[in-house]
Amino acid sequence: MTNQVTTRLSANARYAGVLLLILLMSAMAGCATGPHLAGPAEMGVPERVRLDDVPFHSQRDYQCGPASLAMVLNASGVDVDVDTLIPQVFLPNREGSVQPEMLATVRRYGRIGFVIDGSFESLFTELAAGNPVVVMQNLSLPAWPLWHYAVAIGYDLDEEVMTVHSGMEAARLESFKRFDSTWARSGYWAFVALPPGKLPASIDSEQAMDAIAAFEHANDAHAALPAWQATVKRWPEFAMGWFALGNARHADGNPNGAVEAFREATKQRPDLAVAWLNLGLTLEGLDKLDEARHALQQAAELPGRWQDDARGALARLGPTAL
Amino acid sequence: MKKLTRILSPLLIAFLVLGSLPVAAAAPQSASPLVSTQDAMQADQVRSDRERINALLARQDVQEQLLAQGVDPADVEARVAALSDEEVSQMADHLDDLPAGASVVGALVLIFVILLVTDILGLTNVFPFTR
Repeated sequence: MTNQVTTRLSANARYAGVLLLILLMSAMAGCATGPHLAGPAEMGVPERVRLDDVPFHSQRDYQCGPASLAMVLNASGVDVDVDTLIPQVFLPNREGSVQPEMLATVRRYGRIGFVIDGSFESLFTELAAGNPVVVMQNLSLPAWPLWHYAVAIGYDLDEEVMTVHSGMEAARLESFKRFDSTWARSGYWAFVALPPGKLPASIDSEQAMDAIAAFEHANDAHAALPAWQATVKRWPEFAMGWFALGNARHADGNPNGAVEAFREATKQRPDLAVAWLNLGLTLEGLDKLDEARHALQQAAELPGRWQDDARGALARLGPTAL
Repeated sequence: MKKLTRILSPLLIAFLVLGSLPVAAAAPQSASPLVSTQDAMQADQVRSDRERINALLARQDVQEQLLAQGVDPADVEARVAALSDEEVSQMADHLDDLPAGASVVGALVLIFVILLVTDILGLTNVFPFTR
C-alpha cells in the first residue's frame, strides 16, 4: 500500500517536473523574441543611422554614469572630461549614479536633459535627428540587478542591431533582442542632452515643459529663453508655454515682450487665471494701469488659487481713474 | 566749530534721509513679484506653505544623504541645487531604492550559471564572451 502510494507520487512528480520544464522553456522562448517593430517607412526614419562623431569614454570601475554623461555632453559641444564629472554625479558608497542626478548634472553644463518616452521608435527618431541617447539598462536579471548606463549612437533595421558606446567598448553591436531585454528592465528609461532652443523629436509639450522648468530653476531665465521660444514655436497652442516664455522675458528685463507672451497665453486659454494675473502685474509695472486693471479683473473673476492675489493687486491699484 | 556742527548735522541727516527715499518709493512697485513658472505648474497640486517648508527640508535631507553616501562635502551643495523639486523629493524618499547605474555583479556560482544561460538566450548581457 505504502509502496503503491510512493510509486504514484514519484510518477506524478516526474510529470510535474516535465510540465514545469516545458512551461519554463515556453516562457523563456516567449521572452526571447525580439521587439516587434514597424517598418522604417511607417516610423519615418532611415534604414540605418550611425553617429560617428560621438566621442567614446571608457568607463573605469563603476563609472558608466559619468562616462555616458561625458559622451553626450561632448557630442553637444560641452568640453568636459570624465574626471570632472565623477565628483558631480557618482555616489561612492552606492558605487553608481542615480537617474535624477544624471539629469541634474546635464543642467549644470547648460544643457537640458529630456527624458524621452521609452520606445524603439523614439530612440530611432532621436538618433536619426543626430542626438545620441543615454539609456539605462539592467544587464542582469531583476533579482540580481546590474544597472548600467550606455550611449546609443546608431541602429540598423536590416541587421536588427543597435550600436552603443558601452562600458569599455566603443561602438559595440548589440542585437535588438538583447538590447530590448536589458533596456526593458529599467522601464525603457532614456534621455537626450540638448542645448536650450533644441527640442527632442519624440516628446510632448508637458514633458518638454517639465524638463525646461527644471533647467530654468537650476540656471536662470536668460539661459532658458531659447528653450521657451522653441516650445511655443513647436506647440503654438500650448498656453503654459507662452506663460513660461512671458516669465522668462520679464525676468530677463523685457517686460514688453512678457506682455506679448502673457497675452498670447490668455488668448490660447482664456481661463488661465495665472496668465491674466502676471499680465496685469507686468502692465502695472509698465504704468499701463487701465490695461492692468482689466487683466487683473479677469484673474479675479476666475475661481482658484490666484483669485486672492488678483483681488489684492486690484485693491492696491485702486478704482479706475476718471 | 560747534556752530558748524550744528549746521552740518541736520544737513547730513537730511541728505541721508533723502538718499534712502527713492529706494522706499520704488519698493511698492516690486512688492508683488510675478507668479513663477514652477509655482504655476505646481498650482494644480495646491501647494500650501507647509509643503514649501517640506520641500526645503527635503533638500537638506538629500544633502545629508549624499554626504552619507560618501560625496565630498564641497560638492554636495551644487549637486542638490541642480535638482528640481520633484527630483529632490524622489531622492529624499527613495534614494536607497533608486537603481544606480554601475555594472558589477556578485559572483555566486548559482547566479553565474543562471545568468550564463540567460546570456546565451540573449535575455541578459553580463558576460562579454557569450556574444
